[in-house]
Amino acid sequence: MNPIDDDTLQAYVDGELDATARARVDAALVQDDVLARRVRQARALRAQLRAAFDPVLDELVPARLSALLQPRAVPTVAPLEGGRGEPAARRRAPRRWLLPGAALAASVALLAAGLWWHAGNELVRMRNGEPYAAGVLGRALDQSLASEPDAHATVAIGLTFRAANGYICRSFTVRTPPARAGLACHAAAGWALPVLVPAAPPEGGELRQAASGLPPAVQAVIDARLRGEVFDAQQERAARAAGWR
Amino acid sequence: MHSSDAVREGLIALLPRLRRLARALAGQVADADDLVQVVLERALARSAQWRPDAALDKWVFAIARNAWRDELRARGRAQHLFAPEEAGVTVADGSDARHARQMELAQALAMLPPDHREVVALVLVEGLSYDEAAALLEVPVGTVTSRLARARATLQAHLGNDA
Repeated sequence: MNPIDDDTLQAYVDGELDATARARVDAALVQDDVLARRVRQARALRAQLRAAFDPVLDELVPARLSALLQPRAVPTVAPLEGGRGEPAARRRAPRRWLLPGAALAASVALLAAGLWWHAGNELVRMRNGEPYAAGVLGRALDQSLASEPDAHATVAIGLTFRAANGYICRSFTVRTPPARAGLACHAAAGWALPVLVPAAPPEGGELRQAASGLPPAVQAVIDARLRGEVFDAQQERAARAAGWR
Repeated sequence: MHSSDAVREGLIALLPRLRRLARALAGQVADADDLVQVVLERALARSAQWRPDAALDKWVFAIARNAWRDELRARGRAQHLFAPEEAGVTVADGSDARHARQMELAQALAMLPPDHREVVALVLVEGLSYDEAAALLEVPVGTVTSRLARARATLQAHLGNDA
């Protein structure tokens, strides 16, 4: 068998080989410890780079950047406000909400416009230019357990999980109109809100798993962050006892 | 839909990945976001040049790479783009050990010549294939792989990775 050259080894690590070439390297690795060690080192470097830069994907996009992508001043206000006082012509392109980035960008725009109040109560508060849960939302995230649902509570908690970056995140739905859904992640300064979007109100207001029927924008942000398992009731309770750290 | 609307909506979805690429290229958060701003402005201004059958991400990443090269030229080649001790502070959380490791990585990346750094950013961070990176950089595939190999050697020598 020909020795595996450096280019082939690199292509192997980077997933550039076809099945035949890959099998040849696989076979060589079993017999050659030096080769196997080089593959491990190259993989470790790749993993280290991903670990260093992938968290950027989960960061909130600075308002100055998302603002550049707003077609008008704040036309995306319309969906969140449930159409109150917004001309239909400005309620454009609802599919924007399917994109997590769009939700993020619009969220920032909404915050800039001083919105995100709920029935006179503040749901969101800006800290260092980033949105955090406040008021009834903050309290629900701190206290409520999905395993002990309260059909009358304003905020329903859905999934709780530890995100890839180590923070505990919880999905939630604000039930009373105008309904919203989002994801909150427990950072040092409180519950950061990477996404908050309008949601269909729960049908009939009956008890219902809050995680079901999450808007695609919220689901996309969850999918991007979720690495391990969703917490079960016991883990959720333990996480609360530990202050969501 | 106008192409400018299509580009704008595409850019919104692309923003997180664009920021990651910019961070891998430019290092420091503020510099990276300045780069992203330039890229967004250029992409919007040139949206008529984008053909819907072309992948928007590659088109935007090429703009990002060229904008980064322009910035490097403007600052002068001799000068290090960013103070290495400030570069790559991407995550605030985590243990001291992890933080130290990230600083080490940021310093190692800052040492790479631009030719090497951009292939690391495109292939190892962004996950482009060799062919995609070669097309984006307008160089032969063999050039991508040789730069990548040399960049890896530099990084591994600096980081002293054991496995």
